[in-house]
Amino acid sequence: MFRKLLKNREFIFLDGAMGTMLQSRVLKAGEIPELLSITNPDLITSIHREYIDAGADVIYTCTFGANSYKLSDCGFSCSRVIKAAVENARRAADGRDVCVALDLGPVGRLMEPNGDMSFEQAYDYYKEQIVAGSDADVIVLETMTDLSELKAAVLAAKENSTLPIICTMTFELNRRTFTGVSVGAMAVTLEGLGVDAIGINCSLGPDELPPIVKELSMWTNLPIVVKPNAGLPDPNSSEYDICPDDFAKSIESLVQYGVKIIGGCCGTTPEYIKRIKESLDGKQCAKRSEIRQSAVSSGENAVKIDRPRIIGERINPTGKKLFKEALKTGNIDYILSQGIEQVSAGADILDVNVGLPEINEREMMITVIKALQGVTGAPLQIDTTEPDVLEAALRIYNGKPIVNSVNGEEKSLSTVLPLVKKYGAAVVGLTLDEGGIPKTAQGRFDIAKKIVERAISIGIKREDIYIDCLTLTASAEQEGVLETLEALERVKKELGVKTVLGVSNISFGLPNRELINRTFLTMALQKGLDLPIINPNVEAMTGAVKAFKLLANIDKNSVEYIASYNDAKPTAEKSASNGAPDIGYSIEHGLKKEAARATRELLSTSDAMEIVNRHLIPALDKVGDGFEKGTVFLPQLIQAATAAQGCFEIIKEHLSSTSGSKVSKGKIILATVKGDIHDIGKNIVKVLLENYGYTVFDLGRDVPPEKIVKTAKENDIHFIGLSALMTTTLKSMEETIKLLHSENVDCKTFVGGAVLTCEYAKQIGADYYCRDAKESVDAARDFFGE
Amino acid sequence: MFVLEKINREEALRYLGYRGNEPDKKTLDIIDECEAELLRAASPKYLYKRFDRLEFENGCVAVSDIGLRLCGESVSNHIKGCGGVVLMCATLSAGADRLIRQYQAADMTKAVITDALASAAIEQVCNAVDEEINELYPQEYKTWRFSPGYGDLTLDIQGDLLRVLDAQRKIGLTLAQSGMLIPTKSVTAIIGISKTELSRQRTGCAGCSMRHNCKFRKTGERCV
Repeated sequence: MFRKLLKNREFIFLDGAMGTMLQSRVLKAGEIPELLSITNPDLITSIHREYIDAGADVIYTCTFGANSYKLSDCGFSCSRVIKAAVENARRAADGRDVCVALDLGPVGRLMEPNGDMSFEQAYDYYKEQIVAGSDADVIVLETMTDLSELKAAVLAAKENSTLPIICTMTFELNRRTFTGVSVGAMAVTLEGLGVDAIGINCSLGPDELPPIVKELSMWTNLPIVVKPNAGLPDPNSSEYDICPDDFAKSIESLVQYGVKIIGGCCGTTPEYIKRIKESLDGKQCAKRSEIRQSAVSSGENAVKIDRPRIIGERINPTGKKLFKEALKTGNIDYILSQGIEQVSAGADILDVNVGLPEINEREMMITVIKALQGVTGAPLQIDTTEPDVLEAALRIYNGKPIVNSVNGEEKSLSTVLPLVKKYGAAVVGLTLDEGGIPKTAQGRFDIAKKIVERAISIGIKREDIYIDCLTLTASAEQEGVLETLEALERVKKELGVKTVLGVSNISFGLPNRELINRTFLTMALQKGLDLPIINPNVEAMTGAVKAFKLLANIDKNSVEYIASYNDAKPTAEKSASNGAPDIGYSIEHGLKKEAARATRELLSTSDAMEIVNRHLIPALDKVGDGFEKGTVFLPQLIQAATAAQGCFEIIKEHLSSTSGSKVSKGKIILATVKGDIHDIGKNIVKVLLENYGYTVFDLGRDVPPEKIVKTAKENDIHFIGLSALMTTTLKSMEETIKLLHSENVDCKTFVGGAVLTCEYAKQIGADYYCRDAKESVDAARDFFGE
Repeated sequence: MFVLEKINREEALRYLGYRGNEPDKKTLDIIDECEAELLRAASPKYLYKRFDRLEFENGCVAVSDIGLRLCGESVSNHIKGCGGVVLMCATLSAGADRLIRQYQAADMTKAVITDALASAAIEQVCNAVDEEINELYPQEYKTWRFSPGYGDLTLDIQGDLLRVLDAQRKIGLTLAQSGMLIPTKSVTAIIGISKTELSRQRTGCAGCSMRHNCKFRKTGERCV
């Protein structure tokens, strides 16, 4: 019914505020309005009728906050409240040409990593509401501020109902939501997921909306919804400052951007809806030209593929010892730092591959994606060969990712493409099939064509297909290089799709690889390469892309190029070792580069363990003593530890490449206990412990006791550190220690945290109470017997 | 609308444990950099609302219009004799949390420094709210900001305060199940308002005419 309205009507009118109407009649601040559906159904129905009489085509049920989280203590179930509310709206709509919209707002808890609600929990809240509200005509998800939560809601709607879906988010004047979602990210992600209309509601008045609506109209072909507040609220009286006539006038000015679905949010009444309807009577919805663009997005930012965009390749264990080690010990921070480093070096998109035979790839992929989307705004490319890992990642990813990859084999086409379609992703198509990689450009073009046709036939847009013509190694198949480039050029021109190419393989087995890589990259860009997959930390490669954009007249007026190089300093002088600071001095003063250089030098003359014991640890001790005496302060302590960390990494690499022996002084588990999500204290302890040579298994925050027990048993770990910040979570600390004891884990525990006292630590059975990070190191030394 | 232009450096250094000592040049440079980044990332927001119907009963203060009960000896004593309360909340927003999270993965020194700067910043936002309330009700006396978790006022009350102020919808401030405010650099508080003068212990610095150039406040001390 709603879809019929979309087709037949010039404009669709929504209702105005429910809460405002209730507040003016019966409601007190802090009361739950949704319960009135049960306690005063006639009142709710009469408000719906007022809106219908004013001209609304769609009425929103009084269910904005009717989820089992917000209703937890009210005595009524979510399902009962929703059923009653839908019934009230149905009664009002009876005999009128009106749609009933199941209105759902945010759950009221913030999603990970900002808050403590998981994707799966959010999904379950919405699923319960959607199942209960199945008698509605359309589902509305409104006032949303987090794309993760909205995506969970959309998937819950798609998987448990066939009703059309309208999504509106709430933006601030900076054109972002509270959690930082941009207009483009919203549009690209939701259009991919296949909702029916998108737009903006609440938070601002119609006068503030034109720039936001205009931007939205440039990102999407979907019908646009606006449901603004009646202006801005007075902080004291909470009254809104725009009258119905002015409101209608402002709305009129939005019509030029193609707004089709219009209503009012906080502060609006039936009078507002009546005036909008009158003022748009006889007017036409602006015709919009179709937007055809390739774009992907994170939960915050959308990236258009309208110029060469760099995909960073470094989150991948292939051939990287430290990365593999990080995956095995669950050192997520190491992986995150790889992501952050690439983005600051110029990556637009990050490839994520965490496949390693010894680990559970599915779990690791979910963990890494959740963590990455908490620290970087760059869109991700999900790189896996396992369909179940792919689907798990596509579900929880909070934007529109790229899937890496599908190929011309029937099995791949039939498993990967439906997932790409369902989750609204873009996809990399590799030009290989059952017969391997064709030698000729024609062969690869044929496979590309097959992939494109197949993808389009199941509803994936041409703009969302990126073909990879595959780089072969020049030293082995020299004649193949030009075949790759020719295929790339033809795919781009004749199939009209974007192209992607891993570049670094080209130089395998040759000297001066960087020169070959850069030259090949430039050749490929000239043939039309859109998405080079490279190591962005190599300046020559990132620089080549920047220079190409300037020379190809893409970087207009050389703005980006000049911004990158204008204040470039001459390349750093190689510091002479004479008079350079020694390792101890460098660590004490937090000089990372100098400490690393000194370590490398020492390694050529001294034994690795001797460097650790005679240089690194004494230097750290000196800083630690200063910290205890109050002459060295926390930032310095951490700078020293970070400098030492660099030294340790060099030593570790040296050892694994020479003898294979390890430099670990012992294994330690660290965790912030269940319920607690503030983990800066634990992370300080981690940095220090690592730099005294301990191997830390960092389980992160909000860690259930069972996980700690499991990790200790599986990895044979006997020293466990627990952190809790809140009085309310000290209980979890106690429970964790109890479980460790009752499960007979042979271990000692050390505990710390802002509100923890020595007495309490004893009382809950902890073995060591650590007032600060330095004392954690003392505890570890005591335990491991140094 | 409150714009944070500069972060109270003394306060942040105090959180970092400097106790009046001056950081070294290298650390100072990092602090400058972190401050600039934090000012870019944070977008301070706040809400407050006054309620004038209070009932004192059985060790609790009931805010009648909204059915809110503030229970405990310490909060009752704090508000005793007041004719009204202002309920307030403030946040630096999710951007500040995100920045600290980024630094925790990339550079712990910056994480620790930014965490301290953010704590100082949210305090500044709250002070600005105090000033605004002072200007709004110039004839009346106000207590200092009393927050859940002080004395015997439990954290359970946070959820009610946020609900009354509609904080999730208006400024994106919510509660984790552990009772922690999210975004983490946030505050909720209760300010008592009285027609008659209040003791210095209850008005605190906000009610003092010396508050802008007090030598105690500069080092984080108090005169009473």
